[in-house]
Amino acid sequence: MDGDWEEVGRLLLPPSGPQGITQPSSTFAFDTSQELLWEGNQFGRVWSFYSTELQKYTSFKCGDGPVRQLLFHEKGIIALCPRSVHMALRRGPPIWHIVHEEMKELACMSFTSRGNTEILVAGLQDRMFTIDVEKGTITRQIPSSDHYTIMKRSRYICAATGTGEIHLLDPKTFELQETKFKAHALRINDMDAQHDFVVTCGYAMRQGQIPMLDPMVNAFDLKNLKQMHSVSFPSGAAYVRLHPRLSSTIIIVSSYGQMHEVDLLNPDSSKFKQANVLSYISMVDMAPSGEALVLADTDCNLHLWGSRAKIRFAEISTPVEFADPEETAAQVDWNTETPLSSVGMPYYRENLLSAWPSHLIFDVGAPPPKFDQHFMSKLNTASFGYYGRVPTNVRRNQVEDTRALEKAPINLKTPKFLSEKARETTNDTAGERRIS
Amino acid sequence: SLHANDTLTSHLSRELENGRLFRLIAKLGTINERPEYEGNPKWSDVGDRYILKLFRDYVFHQVNAEGRPVVNMGHILECMNKLDAGSTQQIKLVSRDEQDCFIVSYKELKKQVEAAFQELIKPESTK
Repeated sequence: MDGDWEEVGRLLLPPSGPQGITQPSSTFAFDTSQELLWEGNQFGRVWSFYSTELQKYTSFKCGDGPVRQLLFHEKGIIALCPRSVHMALRRGPPIWHIVHEEMKELACMSFTSRGNTEILVAGLQDRMFTIDVEKGTITRQIPSSDHYTIMKRSRYICAATGTGEIHLLDPKTFELQETKFKAHALRINDMDAQHDFVVTCGYAMRQGQIPMLDPMVNAFDLKNLKQMHSVSFPSGAAYVRLHPRLSSTIIIVSSYGQMHEVDLLNPDSSKFKQANVLSYISMVDMAPSGEALVLADTDCNLHLWGSRAKIRFAEISTPVEFADPEETAAQVDWNTETPLSSVGMPYYRENLLSAWPSHLIFDVGAPPPKFDQHFMSKLNTASFGYYGRVPTNVRRNQVEDTRALEKAPINLKTPKFLSEKARETTNDTAGERRIS
Repeated sequence: SLHANDTLTSHLSRELENGRLFRLIAKLGTINERPEYEGNPKWSDVGDRYILKLFRDYVFHQVNAEGRPVVNMGHILECMNKLDAGSTQQIKLVSRDEQDCFIVSYKELKKQVEAAFQELIKPESTK
């Protein structure tokens, strides 16, 4: 957070429905490979905003209930809702969507030891799942006696419980390590883990009954598995992020928008900024490049901070794919004289979609279905035709084999030769011939 | 007689595209908005067939700035041709409530149409 950091953009979140209610976001995150900021709302919808102008890019539904967390993969974005996990391309179309009856109250997820090919999802429930990101399938179900609210991967998978503890999970076997840190007395409000450090903000009981933000950030050293001295932050530390490039630097934000940049190893020197917010800060995230910070307030504004000259989101960003500019369609007269070939085909080399499978052979020219006289008699007459109740014995638009119907009642006897007739009369006595 | 041949050729080229376009529209017509899909997660707003619904609106339900319907045969033909060929051009699809916004290529749409149609003609193997 250099001296020239300031608020470079502000965005009022789009309303979450045609009625125009704007709801604070439930989660947001900077994309790791494109200049996008992603926001998840209370109704299971994800929005993405492009560049520092925070221009609306894509949005899609990823489940029901609030979006809890977003993770990024080369192929797309993974969104977690309480009862489902959804993966979609950054452009919006879904890749997979997993719903499982044991997914009841998911709250957090993390990549595992297998790079970006597997995720672990957990929550306020007794089971965790591992999901193969490439295939979009659940690979393992792991019973868990603890409930987790936040997960971050570094050396271990660091998981915050609802009771203020940090558990360390082995990223390969998901076994709980013996060392547990009791970070805060009540609960952990925010946590970040990176390289060898875990830092937390949380609540404690003050004066016996009011939960209040601890005036310090707790830090843990994952290399030596021990608690470091905490960083004091008198105005109440609400959110904390480790700087992605300065491995021991943390950024602490209070609920009123006060921001401190502190070095964990040298906590005496700190830089200070104040965000101009009229309400409380509800969430904070730092871009993977370390060059941008976003704060959300409870009035549904997103505040983007950074240095105007250098701000960018991703360390190495790939270009965002936009819709191609619309060519103005040729004006074609809608009359019978205009040949449909007047708009040319684009260049192609694959099988056309209009190619019709050759095994589909249809029988045409069957007589039209006849209406049941009994049914017709019950209909009412109107200017446009007849109307009435549908008979319950057939489906809507059910196919009728009118040919078979037509054939069935035909009982014309084939003309017979005299000799056959003669034979028939003799056979009749035996009663062999059926009369149709 | 050369002249007659020319007339025939020009007539032929005029009608050449009709069959292809009709087959394509027949495919789209059979897969779109089937009541059997009601409750099928694939066609819901988190499913991968959702873009086909939005594409139908994109092609046939154009409106102008005042919100009045625009009927432009050129637009329909162009979209259909690009869909048929599976062009890599990306288009923006927006849902009716303007909450969902996708950027999709014709190539992906073509793949979805084909998959949906194959599912229709042999439904027992996919279930």
